[in-house]
Amino acid sequence: MQVFYTSPWVPPELIKAHGLEPRGIWFADDLGSEPLPIGAGVCAFANSVVRFAERHGDAAVVFSTHCDQLRRAFDAVAGIASERRFLFNLPATWQSTAARRLFTSELERLGRFLVKLEGRAPSAEALAETANQYGRARRRFLEAAPRVPARAYAEAIARFHWDGTTVLPAPRESNKGAVPVALVGGPLPRAQWHVLDVIESAGGRVVLNATEAGERSLWYAAEVPPMPSAETGLPPFRALRTATPEDLARLCLDHCADVFQRPNTRLYSWLQSRLTSRQVRGIVLWYHVGCDLWRAEAQPLREAFGLPVLLLEANQTASELPRQSGRIEAFLESLRGQSA
Amino acid sequence: MNAAPRKITLGEWEQRYEQLHRAGLREPSYGGRLGRHVLLDSDLRLRHLRFDNSPAALRLWNFLLTENQRLAQARAQGEKLVGTMKDLGTVPVMAYSLPGVRAFYPDGAWWTPCLMECSDGLLRQAEKLGLDASFCPVRAMAAAFQNAEHFPRPDLLVCSTGAVCDDFSAIAQRLEKMGFPIEWWEMPRRRPPEPDEAGRVLPGGLSAPEVQVACVRDELERVGRLLSALAGRPLDAAALTAGIRQANKIRRTLAALRRTVYGAPAAPLPALEMLVAEMLAIHFCSDREEALRVLTGLLAKALRRLEQREYVVAEGAARVFWVNPVADLRVMNLLEDWGGRICGSDYMFTHALDLIPEDLPPLEALARTALSDPMVGSTLDRAHRIVAECRACRAEAVVVSRIPGASHCAWEGDIIRRVVREETGLPSIELEVPPISDPLLPTLGSRLQALLETARSKR
Repeated sequence: MQVFYTSPWVPPELIKAHGLEPRGIWFADDLGSEPLPIGAGVCAFANSVVRFAERHGDAAVVFSTHCDQLRRAFDAVAGIASERRFLFNLPATWQSTAARRLFTSELERLGRFLVKLEGRAPSAEALAETANQYGRARRRFLEAAPRVPARAYAEAIARFHWDGTTVLPAPRESNKGAVPVALVGGPLPRAQWHVLDVIESAGGRVVLNATEAGERSLWYAAEVPPMPSAETGLPPFRALRTATPEDLARLCLDHCADVFQRPNTRLYSWLQSRLTSRQVRGIVLWYHVGCDLWRAEAQPLREAFGLPVLLLEANQTASELPRQSGRIEAFLESLRGQSA
Repeated sequence: MNAAPRKITLGEWEQRYEQLHRAGLREPSYGGRLGRHVLLDSDLRLRHLRFDNSPAALRLWNFLLTENQRLAQARAQGEKLVGTMKDLGTVPVMAYSLPGVRAFYPDGAWWTPCLMECSDGLLRQAEKLGLDASFCPVRAMAAAFQNAEHFPRPDLLVCSTGAVCDDFSAIAQRLEKMGFPIEWWEMPRRRPPEPDEAGRVLPGGLSAPEVQVACVRDELERVGRLLSALAGRPLDAAALTAGIRQANKIRRTLAALRRTVYGAPAAPLPALEMLVAEMLAIHFCSDREEALRVLTGLLAKALRRLEQREYVVAEGAARVFWVNPVADLRVMNLLEDWGGRICGSDYMFTHALDLIPEDLPPLEALARTALSDPMVGSTLDRAHRIVAECRACRAEAVVVSRIPGASHCAWEGDIIRRVVREETGLPSIELEVPPISDPLLPTLGSRLQALLETARSKR
């Protein structure tokens, strides 16, 4: 059975280890740009997930509380295939034992849910083996991040979230004249990948994809203490011999760097090192209509990194594409002007 | 001096105040003419409101409108101030259990643009902080912290996070980046226990798994340690138990007031004063003992009027259950002008109205109370409580009031109205009320009047 998940912090290895098929929703070709309901303030992404869940009554969908709108969207689908709907309570804090226990208990509860879907509970060794496969794959993607073209990279990571496939894109051709920018923000579903093409065709180069299921979502068990390799800057992978939900919870919470966390300082630390090392000259802040969490970060991002920030709203219709393109072109033009 | 109960303007309150004063009105230290709040504090909205004409209502308004001054006085006297955000009712019970500590909700600044008719400039200032009109009016809080012209800077700031509104969470996060450190505590999204899980009954009749209760209990214990450190003395079980008992006194008085007013054949007190009275439950308007006296006075007035069959809203008004607080207080007046009355409410803090269990260890009791917050669980839970209360208070219509930009409002209105319709058949509408609703009055009026007519036609 396919189990669609809506946050990269719900570890797909747990689903896979139960013998079910985890499907990161960002790759779904019918997760799209539905018109928003009349009620103002609805998050476009949460709305898409609701419509998706309604269409896929035969599949399981794991919602997550990392976004209030997605949490409430779960209430909107209650009663429709409810035995295949699950709301995962992702804690917003990570510093306390209470948060760790909450995360662990949610993973255990998710496990029971998966068993009810005809999954089978994995042994600690089997869970470790699956977690190792995912961890190694994530590390490979991280190694490749600085060298590969943005669109192909987004596709490859989304495919990995979809079916676990690890196909690394070929390194990008050198384009020294292009302006290095970071794409930071919320979910970037398949239907919106064109934004990467628009940025690159306007003379930009996305050297950091920090959208929800992009590079930020690639965590793995690292050697402790971490001794980053000189070549990649990444600490070596540490294979797990056994793994429990508690281990997965610890790993997820240790690596989570997201906007919903309180405080969201880890997101900023994560960005800081990469923006510097990749010489980013501007940030494109990607957000969906109705997403308060990301919209509110525009000014703090400017203040924290001293970089120009372009607020880019996910377009809902094709007719909005020219406006979006125009904004990107103007932004890149202004960045090029700064360097001249 | 007794007068027939009615709603009067600010100007009429001047004469009424003179009469009461001549008749020997005794007021607390924060008392005085209502008009001074316009002159001294620029609470311009008062000019467009109509108030109950009783001394009990005068005391309520003066209590509400002097909160910032009273907080400043407390600070000057060496008391510690705790800014508690989002949980609406739980952390203040803990803070007031310690002598010399006062808790208040900086979130309350969301009403400042309404009260000051935007002359405060807070919403404009919030926009400069990157918090534009797509966010809830609680963004005024961030600006109020920045300009320090409203409430004193708290000695400690705590904020619940997790199952909270994204707009609030984002605004609070902005606040922290502005240099106001926040202690965050985790609030899980409440769910019912699964068949194989141990569950705990919550105030209000819902239940939650033990693992969630334990999470909140641990987090509140951590908050308690912070409060202890601030106060310089331990917040032990005895102090908490006494604090819970005091909070419950207020909750019992408020429950009696709500029963009296909402259950009466016609309203002995207006909707606006009742909204303000309910708000006292969440942090006692920064003075727990005085909040009890204010509510006791209102209850006595309501009982006397009921006994004498004196009402401020005539019999026959359509009985409305109101969901969510309004950003513009004037709308509560208008509901009554257009032929409605409030017979029940869910202003987003029903957990601050329910009694805190006194037969449990205090932190356990507070954790269960916090988890019964209508905003941390499923909207369906909230809708079912609304249905039960609509039945109990014989509601004829339901209004779901939207708060502009609030993330919970995007989804909950449809769900609540659907459940209400399916289970009771009551007519309902959803209205968005901005901080100053004057330009929208024709639309608001026609929608509300249509609802009230529909409700009356079903009699």
